[in-house]
Amino acid sequence: MTGETIQLDHGTGGGMSQELISELIAPRLGAVHAGRMEDSARLHLESPDIAFTTDSFVIDPIFFGNGDIGRLAVCGTVNDLAVSGATPRYLTLSLVLEQGLPLADLARILDSVREAAVEADVAVVAGDTKVVRGGEVDKLFINTAGVGEFIDTGELGVAAVRPGDAVIVTGWLGNHAIHVLSLREGLGFEQRVLSDCAPLDGLVWNVLEDYSRQVHCMRDITRGGLGTVLNELASGAGVSIRIEEHHLPIQHETAMAAAMLGLDPLYLANEGNICMIVDGDAAIEILEVVRWQARATAPRIVGAVHERCGSAVTMVRGDGSETVVELLYGAELPRLC
Amino acid sequence: MARCAILTNDLQYDLVGKNEARRAAVADFAPRMCSFLAQMRALDVPVVHLQLINREDDPRAERYDGWLPVTKGSAGARIIEDFHADGDIVVEKNKDSGFYATELDARLRELGVDAVVITGMQTQICVQTTAADAFFRGYHVIVPADAVVSARPEDRTRALEWLGSYCATITTTTELLDAVVNGDLPTFDVVPIP
Repeated sequence: MTGETIQLDHGTGGGMSQELISELIAPRLGAVHAGRMEDSARLHLESPDIAFTTDSFVIDPIFFGNGDIGRLAVCGTVNDLAVSGATPRYLTLSLVLEQGLPLADLARILDSVREAAVEADVAVVAGDTKVVRGGEVDKLFINTAGVGEFIDTGELGVAAVRPGDAVIVTGWLGNHAIHVLSLREGLGFEQRVLSDCAPLDGLVWNVLEDYSRQVHCMRDITRGGLGTVLNELASGAGVSIRIEEHHLPIQHETAMAAAMLGLDPLYLANEGNICMIVDGDAAIEILEVVRWQARATAPRIVGAVHERCGSAVTMVRGDGSETVVELLYGAELPRLC
Repeated sequence: MARCAILTNDLQYDLVGKNEARRAAVADFAPRMCSFLAQMRALDVPVVHLQLINREDDPRAERYDGWLPVTKGSAGARIIEDFHADGDIVVEKNKDSGFYATELDARLRELGVDAVVITGMQTQICVQTTAADAFFRGYHVIVPADAVVSARPEDRTRALEWLGSYCATITTTTELLDAVVNGDLPTFDVVPIP
């Protein structure tokens, strides 16, 4: 390819656009690129019901310690499909590029898209590339849409959450947020606290394979953290959820950073962590399955679902006192995903 | 005995001069701090000044009323003369932690340092992050409470509590000088990471 940076002409649809796609994007995506370069992709699906979702990614910085915006864009959409009870099959990939973005950076990000798509066993079947003037976006924004096929499950969703259920969390809380914040400001935690960004479809499939009727609901714990997820579930299902503080998986260094920054790990973002609401009688067996999944960094049963009584979500502290886990309003940390 | 080095944070003209609260806090600790540094130098303890340099292309660098302080080569970026002496080491940094993408760790290893005494401004930002980073890299971390300042006293108090509970031994300049003079700088207990 000519040049070393993205030019406005790369987004005009003309020769330079074609060159960008045929000489950089398609080769970098390699075998995971299954599109025909036509106006739409023709897909084959076995299941009569499909899951369809979309997400946009604007993380700053675009490269972080153990990942980048490309990996995030695949994992985020794959995980949204997976927690819906679907096997991810196809993705679209839309790139909004800032004029002046180094082509080497774009190549590196496309490599990450490919690697994450291989991990998640999804194909990129369609895409789009736009270029805007310097300052109109920050380096690179990505949108991915995803299609998945539903696995045979029971009634999976908020409506299935009921008293007696247990709450399982699969990984450390807040590590992605602390990692990115530390990188931005040079806080010194970025080597010790890594992002958890990963595709979790394999983990979900392995649980649903044997416990499809016992898993009642799943949520990807992203923006707003576990506190937000639990409030949404409790409100949606008309129940109360009580969690135990000493059962929450919080890495020591994450707790250090959160205390320093005045942040609560309960509300910090993750990118490879699932909250599962499961039948209380099967919780220990399900936890045992989760424990052996490579992507489950710190699986724990952290609480239980009860008949609605008072607050939607509460937390029992180490001293036995109980505190309300409020729904977070407007204190979102920007551009973590 | 552990070999220690003193790290000062952000004792630079632009940063201290930002507002009256900072100027007053630094003016209050300056005589004590200068005396402490002089005595430590006399005991052959290295003094390393961490010098924040804001890059023009860093959108996150804090601007003061639209202008960028402590740019490279500017007068305002210099270490305040009172705290600086010939033979001191200056390490440029671009972010809060003195270890982040700098030569600090390598310089300390060259000097055979295994304990760092973290001082300067502000306690709740650069002192705290540099202390955490040092702790993660295996240094014993010592913070003399009377050698760190914040524009707001409550920030300093809160940061010292955090430092003491997670990663540092909190002491005073007097106690630390005595320990170095007597050759019994202790190997401080490091809080184990679970």
